[in-house]
Amino acid sequence: MPFTGKSGKFNAAIRTVEIGTGDKAVKLGGENVLPFYTFDAPIENAPKIGVLITDMGLENEVAGIKDYYAGATTFAEIAKKAEEMPGADFVVLRFEGADPNGENRSVEDCVAIAKEVGDAITAPLVIEGCKNVEKDAELFSKVAEALQGKNVLILSAREENYKAVAAAAGLAYGQKVGAESAVDINLAKQLNVLIGQLGVDQANVVMNVGSAAAGYGFEYVVSTMDRVKAAALAQGDVQLQMPIMTPVADEAWNVKEAMASEADMPEWGSQEERGIDMEVETAAAVLASGSNAVILKHPTSVATISKLIKALV
Amino acid sequence: MALKGLDIFKLTPKTNCKECGSPTCMAFAMKVAQGAVELSKCPHMSEEALATLSEATAPPMKTIKVGTGEAEYTLGGETVLCRHEKTFVSKPRYAVSICSADEDIDAKLEVAKKVDYDRIGERMHVEMLYLSYCADKGVDAYVELVKKAADCGKTLVLDCTDVEAAKAALAVCKDAKPVLDGADASNYEAMSAVATEAGVVLGVRGADINELYDTTAALEKLGNKNLVLNVGTASVKDAFATTVQIRRAALKDQNRTFGYPSIVNVGALAAGDPTMQAALVSLFTVKYGSIIVMEGMDYAQALPLYGLRQNVFTDPQKPMKVEPGIYPLNGGDENSVCLTTVDFALTYFVVSGELERSGVPCNLIINDAGGLSVLTAWAAGKLSSTSVSKFIQENVEPKVKCRKLIIPGKVAVLKGDIEAKLPGWEVIVAPNEAVQLVKFLKDLQANGEI
Amino acid sequence: MTLFDRVFGGNDAVYGLTEAAIDGAIAQYGEDAAVSFPDTAYSLPCYYAVTGSKVTNLKELKAALGVVKTLMTREKRLNDAFMSGVATALCAEFIEVLKYMNGAKPYEEPCYGHLADAIIRELGVPLVTGDIPGVAVILGSAPSTEEAVELVKSYQAQGCLVTLVGGVIDQCVEAGLNMGNAVRIVPLGKDVTAVIHVVSVALRAALIFGNVTPGDAGALMKYTMDRVPAFVNAFKPLDDVIVACGAGAIALGFPVVTNETENIFRVPKSLIVQEDVSKFNATSIEARDIKIKVTKIDIPVSFASAFEGEIIRRGDMQVEFDGSRVDCFELVEAKDASEVEDHKIEVIGPDFDEFEVGSKHSIGYVVEVAGKSMQADFEPVFERKFHNYLNCIEGVMHTGQRDMIRIRVSKNAFDAGFRAKHIGEVLYARIKNEFDAVVDKCQVKVITDPELCTKMRHETAIPLFDKRDDRLATLTDESVDVYYSCIMCQAFSPSHVCVVTPERLGLCGAVSWLDAKATNELDPQGPCQVITKEKPIDERIGEYEDVNEAVKLYSQGALEEVSLYSIMEKPMTSCGCFECICGIEPFSNGVVITNREYAGMTPLGMTFSELASMTGGGVQTPGFMGHGKHFISSKKFMKAEGGIERIVWMPKELKESVAERLNETAKELYGIDNFTDMIGDETIAEDPETLLAFLTEKGHPALGMDPMM
Repeated sequence: MPFTGKSGKFNAAIRTVEIGTGDKAVKLGGENVLPFYTFDAPIENAPKIGVLITDMGLENEVAGIKDYYAGATTFAEIAKKAEEMPGADFVVLRFEGADPNGENRSVEDCVAIAKEVGDAITAPLVIEGCKNVEKDAELFSKVAEALQGKNVLILSAREENYKAVAAAAGLAYGQKVGAESAVDINLAKQLNVLIGQLGVDQANVVMNVGSAAAGYGFEYVVSTMDRVKAAALAQGDVQLQMPIMTPVADEAWNVKEAMASEADMPEWGSQEERGIDMEVETAAAVLASGSNAVILKHPTSVATISKLIKALV
Repeated sequence: MALKGLDIFKLTPKTNCKECGSPTCMAFAMKVAQGAVELSKCPHMSEEALATLSEATAPPMKTIKVGTGEAEYTLGGETVLCRHEKTFVSKPRYAVSICSADEDIDAKLEVAKKVDYDRIGERMHVEMLYLSYCADKGVDAYVELVKKAADCGKTLVLDCTDVEAAKAALAVCKDAKPVLDGADASNYEAMSAVATEAGVVLGVRGADINELYDTTAALEKLGNKNLVLNVGTASVKDAFATTVQIRRAALKDQNRTFGYPSIVNVGALAAGDPTMQAALVSLFTVKYGSIIVMEGMDYAQALPLYGLRQNVFTDPQKPMKVEPGIYPLNGGDENSVCLTTVDFALTYFVVSGELERSGVPCNLIINDAGGLSVLTAWAAGKLSSTSVSKFIQENVEPKVKCRKLIIPGKVAVLKGDIEAKLPGWEVIVAPNEAVQLVKFLKDLQANGEI
Repeated sequence: MTLFDRVFGGNDAVYGLTEAAIDGAIAQYGEDAAVSFPDTAYSLPCYYAVTGSKVTNLKELKAALGVVKTLMTREKRLNDAFMSGVATALCAEFIEVLKYMNGAKPYEEPCYGHLADAIIRELGVPLVTGDIPGVAVILGSAPSTEEAVELVKSYQAQGCLVTLVGGVIDQCVEAGLNMGNAVRIVPLGKDVTAVIHVVSVALRAALIFGNVTPGDAGALMKYTMDRVPAFVNAFKPLDDVIVACGAGAIALGFPVVTNETENIFRVPKSLIVQEDVSKFNATSIEARDIKIKVTKIDIPVSFASAFEGEIIRRGDMQVEFDGSRVDCFELVEAKDASEVEDHKIEVIGPDFDEFEVGSKHSIGYVVEVAGKSMQADFEPVFERKFHNYLNCIEGVMHTGQRDMIRIRVSKNAFDAGFRAKHIGEVLYARIKNEFDAVVDKCQVKVITDPELCTKMRHETAIPLFDKRDDRLATLTDESVDVYYSCIMCQAFSPSHVCVVTPERLGLCGAVSWLDAKATNELDPQGPCQVITKEKPIDERIGEYEDVNEAVKLYSQGALEEVSLYSIMEKPMTSCGCFECICGIEPFSNGVVITNREYAGMTPLGMTFSELASMTGGGVQTPGFMGHGKHFISSKKFMKAEGGIERIVWMPKELKESVAERLNETAKELYGIDNFTDMIGDETIAEDPETLLAFLTEKGHPALGMDPMM
């Protein structure tokens, strides 16, 4: 007697959100099953991978990343290489240097970089800020304006600045809005509701429900995503049916395991390998928990996760 | 749905005889309902009650024990599909694979031993060895391999579908309770007999999920319920589908035939690609692998992996805690500034990470705060001026000369009280968020305040 | 002459002018000549927004005028007046667009005329976020240049966008006022028809930010009414054209404030006469319900949570106020809007300079708030925050509450210039900031006059505190219409939902029904949501269809049914943060309660933490339930099983802390005196047998009650 498993297909589905334009536009979400449960129902849009570049250039990156971008000096050249990285679906430009407590790059300079990158590539573009809520609000609104017509995703609006970010990106300049909350289903839902109340169409919203590197409170990420997907699919909660995008590179390359030098931790071996595995394992875990897209930066990580996704979908 | 404690209590003798080890029948009933104690511990249950209860209280997924002594591990016994529903109980265990055809067996054994470290009170290492039988090399070579591997202090999993080879291998290692991963549709009767006789857990495999199901059902019919299920190596997609479906069938659809732990060989699914194996081991750690086999294990793969496992398998109601003590960072010594926060592992990691990034030499002082976050601990009275000052007087003052203490911004309210209770100390209030610590400390340093 | 006559008259006059202008243009340029405003994708934005039709040439413009004519009905009904106002505005747009014929540039510095789409998008974001709290449209000439500039500056200081039409522009130029989009003062044009350019901003905002479909006039007006916080200040004299334009503004939801008194008709909240130009600002802000954000606290010392734990020792103290020795109090009072002047800080009595260093005095401060959604029930919620607010001031220490407060001000703070009024500034700014959802206006009185303090403490404050306590005491589950959900702890306990009722506070002990209600009003999307209780299923155990639905919703389906008053049937779930836990003790037919602080054994054979691990996590566990301390003396405590009579054991400390109120309830419900004497504790028994013997000896009522299971 063969095994007869019950299908876990749901009546509700994750909303499909498209970013970018033209042939290279990507669709996020759309599935009506749990992550990679293709045995329940086909998953039309496989999870996508974004390649992270920053306004700080390549100086602080590990050798493997520098090597990949060898010869690229301008932001346009770097962005071009990023979109050509095997396995890449979109490019993510992060304005790390905009932080008032750091480089404090001016909004005008950031806009210029954003335009340079936006004009250089045909793949969809996602914009990340510097996490300073006031600066990001201003930065995002100007960048959204400068990149009109490119259907970029602004990642992201947070509880503190959602009005300015969502109004600019989602209403004034017709871009996609990322809604970022800190690993809590209720906060995620509340932010989605508030953004909806501003008048932003929910079909233009992508969530970042928070992230952590593996080993750093990752249980909250798993549980938040498990619960969000359960609410969206099993309960049909329309306020949680947005696809999820998770910036993995930011967290993964910033923990001790990826940062400690080989001199300090000789038994741990290659620092670059550690960074890659932290990025790859964190990405695999967030995808398994429900992310519809991940943001990575090392070419090996991008190739590996791309291979993983292809093998599963 | 499992029975409620009160339903079980009604069937107990209600004598509070304490013979079960619990002080009252009510306490016993509640523990049985939780799955913490077996019903059979009560010697006075009536036959009728036992019959009623054992079916209802039988767990949907069996708990399987493998290995002995320090290398004894519990697999399975899960009751939920998502950790937030209750908790996951049995961590996946990681194995490194070695084949009797391998040229460099000794070197591989060394590799398997290499990763060994402590993370928040838990030893992190490769717990198992997955030993594959190569028919071309013969039984003796396999037995040699098993003998060598048996000395490593790791639990063995014998990947062997040859009945004679399995017998020979078990003859030298069965006392250490290995797993015999060798039953399939063609040999299950003989293999089951071998495993039963040796008293070891039997691994079952099939060409696909249906064959796996049928073979498992057939084994159960033979009376063998000491099983683990090998999800196969046909493809990543199949392995994942099988792993998820057997767990879901067991827990959600009460299909007891699939109520066993799993074996996933990611080493075979992505042979020669250690980074892909890292991705897969992470995937199966989150989704339902019980024994996960890799070709090797280095620190780069291990550091995120064991952290991930520790996170996912933590009990949501029992937070991870770090040991109280003084943690010097960036070469901090007796003259370096002191900072304090709670013992909640996540807080500790985040704070210590930021402190390390600041490069400022300091001492991070961790006191017992019940494993709660700063505000929760403060609200629960576990982080108070008394707890901080007492710990500092007893443990820090004898060792550290610096008399400056930085407290979390969220408990700025404690500043005055701590200063009152710690004469000679200057208390400085830190920012509310850990990410602001780098700038804060650098500023203090630049201003010559620390 | 009636208002209708004036509107209709003005409308007809403008219509005539427009018709003549269009005909003149056709004669000059021909029908096919293009008409458009520069830098907009919205054609003639106002006409397009209202009708959904685009106008590209003079022929179409002429046809459009015919459409406008159909709006100009002449019944003397409000709607006719409004539509004529809209028609007037559209005519103005036609007149204005003709000025741009043939690529002309009709406006020059400082006037803007038509505003480009890019400016709308730029302005729209702060409008949506509330960073631009209001849009002032100032029309005509102020009585004097000084008054004009003062009014413009007052709006600018509040962050409002100020648009100018007519003579006021020259007045501002004359005064040398810095103007322009960057400083949010935008002179539009000197003809009255230039006012259409700000209307165009409002309507394009609706199309861009409100996703309003062009031509959906209803949605358009709803959007401008709800989302565009504009208002008009029109200086006298008002001619009929301006009155007609005003009707259009009112139709869009923008009130008109004027100093014209001749031949004017007041319409509440819409057409307001304010003869005093210096009060235009306050009148307009109130009429349009604009909330001005308080961004900084105007005090000479720092304000931050880092100072919360600061202790001011006697030697460092400039002055002290001590409610235990002299009369002090702190109070929030909800008032009518007319009684409150926003940001008025009044000090009654001597200031700190007049006190001797280190001396002790009386102080009282009353924060009077007004707001449409303000309720007296929020007063104590605000008041409880005072402690935190005042402690965050550098050099100020505050302890206690109500009339038992103590405040110390340090010498350093005093030397920096900190005085009594700054207490008012802090309270004002914090209350406005944190409670802006319900507080529209706020004023503070700081009283240091000792006699007045004594009088107000006894005659105002104490009676009010008593009244509040009485209200709390009389609040019952039956006396209210709704309960509240609380999911604050779902981060720890994902499927748990607390149903908070007046007689059953949240099981953490920290969220009362009033707290939940305030949380809901202040943060409508937050953790506390209204639960109706209109569909009772079973009154005995307190089960309601609507409560079940809410619980199912907020637990994401994990929990389907819950009772409010039973621990045996569908009991409420527990998170992990309950103060107490009660569990059935079958041998004595009652319940044992234990609390977090008590680590010892209970007669159930389980400690608090063992019980907690079995009960927590948002799972229903019949026979066991987490709850707050205060719930123990509630009449609703396991009412379905017979109520507090069932309590057979509590830790001694807990028993003592609830004894008074528990005895009172027992007396009232069952006529039992000193009920707590019958309840066991750890000094009497830690096992069921000894407990049973004790209960039998005392004749505990639970022994004679129906079996619980």
